[in-house]
Amino acid sequence: MKIKLWDIFKVFTKIGLILIGGGYVIIPLLKDELIDKRNWITEKELVDYFALSHTLPGLIAGNIAIFIGYKLRGKWGGLMAMLGISTGPFVCIAAIMPIIALITTSHTMKSIFWGVDIGVIIMIIAAVKEMWSSSVFDKFTTFLYIISLFLILKFKLSPTTIVISSILIGIIYKRFINKDSGETSK
Amino acid sequence: MIYLLLFKEFFEIGLFSFGGGFATLPFFYRMSETYHWFATKEISQMLAISTITPGPIGINMATYAGMKIHGIPTALVATISLMLPALIIVIFVSKILKKFRDNVYVKASIYALKPATCALLTAVAIRLIKESITDIYSTALFALLILCFLTGKRSIIFYLTVSALVGLLCGIVIKV
Repeated sequence: MKIKLWDIFKVFTKIGLILIGGGYVIIPLLKDELIDKRNWITEKELVDYFALSHTLPGLIAGNIAIFIGYKLRGKWGGLMAMLGISTGPFVCIAAIMPIIALITTSHTMKSIFWGVDIGVIIMIIAAVKEMWSSSVFDKFTTFLYIISLFLILKFKLSPTTIVISSILIGIIYKRFINKDSGETSK
Repeated sequence: MIYLLLFKEFFEIGLFSFGGGFATLPFFYRMSETYHWFATKEISQMLAISTITPGPIGINMATYAGMKIHGIPTALVATISLMLPALIIVIFVSKILKKFRDNVYVKASIYALKPATCALLTAVAIRLIKESITDIYSTALFALLILCFLTGKRSIIFYLTVSALVGLLCGIVIKV
């Protein structure tokens, strides 16, 4: 039986609405909605999509959704999954923006955001720590981390420049300099 | 033509941010410095609100930034442009799945991309420390949060809640 495009849109809209805090939280939600309730994908497919999504640019949750949509109904399925997962967050943010503009001028909210600005720093540090052990684990990755950080801070290189050059450096290094090590990333 | 420029900028984020929602942050700082669509000071607030509202953080960030520019039409262009590269890439990768993941070039790219992503985010953290930790109160709160960070694994919502509460308290007691 062919799965309706509209159903793909609906399911991912629902997932977009109940997903809070990004990325990894999506896995149990998808398992519940797509494997247990609907039998649309297998557990193995979900694990594969999850792993692949980390190697691709873009949002992890978005990538997984598009993989599943594509598997179910080809490129239109992918599009429906993409639109579905974006709809809930879009409507929420669009709806609260006028309220945010109103409340952020109050003294109380200014105080709260004074604290939150500092909380955000720790969130970012925690995100770096989360990635650290699988990212910086040998001499070359340590070197890349230090040199990138230096270049960003000193010469204000754009993120795009850093990303493109690190891809090139990675390929050159693995292709011509350090060919033997089979295991490139954890 | 603001829409074309928005498309280019957000498509670029979607194409070059590796590692999920947080990886979009350095791009938003860059964007704020180049176009002044929103203040760099606002980005922390954007991230905090994106974290507590439903949906992947990156989508919330794009919508939020788009809303700041010219309301709903720009938010729509921003959000769709951010997601579009993923759609194109996933459609392409889906056809070769396994081959893609085991490809030597892909592996080599990821190997070098990951430390670069860590560096990009570290740079954001350093920048925010310089901007936000300016007096005894902010230093004290930062120290408290670092202590929480070092003593156990906590969720990002935990840090947001604690920092919001301390902020509120400071506002009442000492009028920061």
